Amino acid sequence: MITINNLTKRYGTFLANDGVNLEVKPGEVSILLGPNGAGKSTLIKCIAGLLKHQGEILICGQKNKSILAKQYLGYIPEMPALYDMLTIWEHMEFIGRAYKLKDWESRANQLFERLELDDKKNKLGSELSKGMQQKVSLCCGLLPNPKVLLFDEPLVGLDPHAIKELKNLIIEYRNEGTAILLSTHMLDSVAEFWDSTNIMMQGKIVAYRTRAEIESTGENLEELFFSITEKSKNPTDSKEAGVNA
Amino acid sequence: MRGLIYLLLTIMKNRLLSLKKKPAILVIYILCALSIIGMLIASTFMPADTTTLPNLADIRILYGVVAGIGLIFGYTFVNTGLSTGGTLFTMSDVSLLFVSPVSPIRILIYGLIKQLGTTFLTSIFILFQYVNLKKSFNISGTGMLFIFFIYGIMIFFGQLLSIAVYVYTNGNSKKKTIIRSIVYLIFIGIAFFVYQNYRLNGDILESLLDTADSKLFQMVPLAGWAAMFIKAYIEKDLLFLIIGLGLFILASILIILMITAGEADYYEDVLLSTEINYNKLQAAKEGKITKTKKKIKLRKNELGIQKGNGANVLFYKHLLEAKRSSRLIFVDSYTIMVTLGAGALSYFVNTDFVGYIILGTLVYILFFFTIMGKLTIELTKPFIYMIPDKSIKKLLAASLTNIIKPYIDGLIIFGVVGLITGTSPLLNIFFALAYGSSAMLFISFTILSQRFLGGQLNKVVLFMFGMGLLMLIISPGIIASIVAVSLLPESFLFLGTLPYTLWCLFISGVAFLICGNLLDQTELSDKPI
Repeated sequence: MITINNLTKRYGTFLANDGVNLEVKPGEVSILLGPNGAGKSTLIKCIAGLLKHQGEILICGQKNKSILAKQYLGYIPEMPALYDMLTIWEHMEFIGRAYKLKDWESRANQLFERLELDDKKNKLGSELSKGMQQKVSLCCGLLPNPKVLLFDEPLVGLDPHAIKELKNLIIEYRNEGTAILLSTHMLDSVAEFWDSTNIMMQGKIVAYRTRAEIESTGENLEELFFSITEKSKNPTDSKEAGVNA
Repeated sequence: MRGLIYLLLTIMKNRLLSLKKKPAILVIYILCALSIIGMLIASTFMPADTTTLPNLADIRILYGVVAGIGLIFGYTFVNTGLSTGGTLFTMSDVSLLFVSPVSPIRILIYGLIKQLGTTFLTSIFILFQYVNLKKSFNISGTGMLFIFFIYGIMIFFGQLLSIAVYVYTNGNSKKKTIIRSIVYLIFIGIAFFVYQNYRLNGDILESLLDTADSKLFQMVPLAGWAAMFIKAYIEKDLLFLIIGLGLFILASILIILMITAGEADYYEDVLLSTEINYNKLQAAKEGKITKTKKKIKLRKNELGIQKGNGANVLFYKHLLEAKRSSRLIFVDSYTIMVTLGAGALSYFVNTDFVGYIILGTLVYILFFFTIMGKLTIELTKPFIYMIPDKSIKKLLAASLTNIIKPYIDGLIIFGVVGLITGTSPLLNIFFALAYGSSAMLFISFTILSQRFLGGQLNKVVLFMFGMGLLMLIISPGIIASIVAVSLLPESFLFLGTLPYTLWCLFISGVAFLICGNLLDQTELSDKPI
């Protein structure tokens, strides 16, 4: 699971994340919603241990930069970052060896089949389109079978088949008890599988809802999102909308 | 047209204003401008040194250099035209201007004006050759401006030429063959002319210079016209000065007419090269090393990383990547080029200290290669941070190929130098060790700067700051070696570089110890230092 206590991240004088508290339980898909520049990607990178920050981040009870936490973590970045000189199958081998995984080949084969990459094993990273690279990036993140998964805008650039497969994979991982945090702009794309949602504005989580809450009150998530993000200049409006920060 | 003028002026204004936010770049520009102005002023007030005139070099060498540059430009630009074509535009021009209701001819004029500005800026470095040209050929300040002018014209014309070649040959292999044949014929003709001269005077250098100086060569487009222009300036021959320039202007007008002929649909012709330029620029902005479009051949017996577990898989991955760049893994085109250069230097420079001169020069070059090495590239991707292993192990594994290669390069380079100079093998082995250990120091410097400055600093600032800091770090080792060389008896002179080597290793060890936890303390940045 993911536990974040009072996370603050600054770039120089710019406050990218401001006192964020968040928890994602095992078997939960939590969504980070927010407009551009709200701090979603920064938050995900902080959790992945890629950025320096203030505050505490725990992955399954371990500090996020510890070796143990890294074993539990899977991160799929917004922009795929592949090695130009490695084939996509060698990317799998690289992850398999780096994470000391047993029987990574069969698992990599399954992922490649599901994402329709099995006929491109010997293609170099640099030879692929952006969408294909994104699929390889997904395979890299999923191969170690992580207990915590971080997705940063994972659906951007994917073809319809890959989107369908990714949604299925997310649901499967959730059912296996993985804690999943996913950032997106597209509310519709996550409608089928989200369990909780965190709406971010100006580096803060300004509203939190569970699916049960939304369903029991009849509140509309899209309307809630716009009521917060479009009235962000007036903080009292956000409070009226149910601010949870 | 008003919109295009607005665009040109606004781009210029914003580029200047952006310097306010980039003080380091501004300082560099000011320094460049001051040194050029200083040189030109000094040349104006410098009395003509007639006493040295007899020592001046043969002026035909200058024509030969201009001709040589012209031939290289001509060949390169025609080749670009045969593959991707040239462009005067950026991607923003493509997406905003090409779809706008502005005449394509006006857009072409806008592109030409913009290109002229860029050409002027990129040619400025030629002015720094002033001291050499003054010393060798007694070229005045005005003469320097003429050379600068013709250099800019050559680049500008070359761009136009590559567009013209692309427009003419695009998708037509017959036409491509025709252009290739013309280029080959020109080169064969020049080679034949040189050979004829050689048969007459028996001196290859004389033959080359005679060729560059001949009227026949001056008929060759681009290279010959440029040589004609410079020769006419030197000989105060106004007619040929005008003819030389006139040929460039006439040919440019013909090319523009050809591009804009009919419905002036040149958009498609420049699109590919604009996209390629854009990608190169993006890669450069992100600090990525842009490689040529050389296709990587995957050999079946070289598939897979094969070895490694945990952090050390980074090393085996780098080995595989090196194998794909060069069959000999650590010995690549850089090794060969540098060895040839060092070999030539040791052959022509006849001094006892040639080994030290080579070592110093190569260490300087090595700094830039190491600082953009595997570790730096690795730090721009998330994998190295995410691998569940100790930071120091990952750092060492990611640096190991960059540590090993300079030692191998050093042994090859100084092996050749030793053979040519006939110096003792021990001396050259210690030179090689000093060279390899310098790479260790530079790697540790990369780690130190990442640890304490992060990876988001301006690259220019960091290079400047880095060079200063590096000199500070490296100087005790250099001083110790100078002292050692002056104190050691001749039979132990081979140990002269040892203090420097040990110092480099000591500093590297300290840096790894202090910054071993770098990956837990630094931040992922898309832009390497």
